[in-house]
Amino acid sequence: MTISRKCVPFTPFDRELVKSTIAIVTAGGVHLKDQEAFNIADELGDLTYREIPPDVDSSQLMVTHHHYDHSDADEDINVVFPIDVLRDLESEGFIGGIAKKHIGYMGYTMQLKAMYEGTAREIANEIDKGSRADAVVLTGG
Amino acid sequence: MKGIPTILITVSPEVSAQMRPPRALYPKGFKIGNSLGRPGMRDLQQKVLRGALNLLTENTRPGEVITLEYPEYGQQYDPPRVKKLG
Repeated sequence: MTISRKCVPFTPFDRELVKSTIAIVTAGGVHLKDQEAFNIADELGDLTYREIPPDVDSSQLMVTHHHYDHSDADEDINVVFPIDVLRDLESEGFIGGIAKKHIGYMGYTMQLKAMYEGTAREIANEIDKGSRADAVVLTGG
Repeated sequence: MKGIPTILITVSPEVSAQMRPPRALYPKGFKIGNSLGRPGMRDLQQKVLRGALNLLTENTRPGEVITLEYPEYGQQYDPPRVKKLG
């Protein structure tokens, strides 16, 4: 299905947050230290993404991205990928749970069409089919 | 395809607005790389995330970026501007 660029693809949220499961998708270049880093040598950017499990130890996450200063994220990944903060909100009963799958990718690309028509759809499918998320928090760098 | 509700936290509101996100929060004055706040400021990070998630339940206008202020962030930064042609 092709969506007009003039259309805002708004999906209503018809649940209560306290009963909802939340996923995080970040363009901030976040991935596990033992996952392949994003390719920052390619001037066209990297169209791949990394799955991040819900029980990840946030100290095992890192950033590979050369188009923003991620020194603060290197110190505390939650400034761009708030997985521990999401756990806090689950503990206090603000949300119902944490999704089974989260995604990191490197938002910088010169291949906009491939990002829009390829990677973005693949990420949406990952979340739609495998995460049981009721809503997604998106962050950039 | 049913679609998945999303809320974007952006520190580049003009740039993000060009993509007309379904819902978006701009924490005013936060710099690039600090979408949720500064390192270790967990109370602030929770506040920003609660604020973002609350926008899912509010009657926001699709494509609009909502600005909220968090003075506890401290020093404020100007966001990147979109260059206008001509």
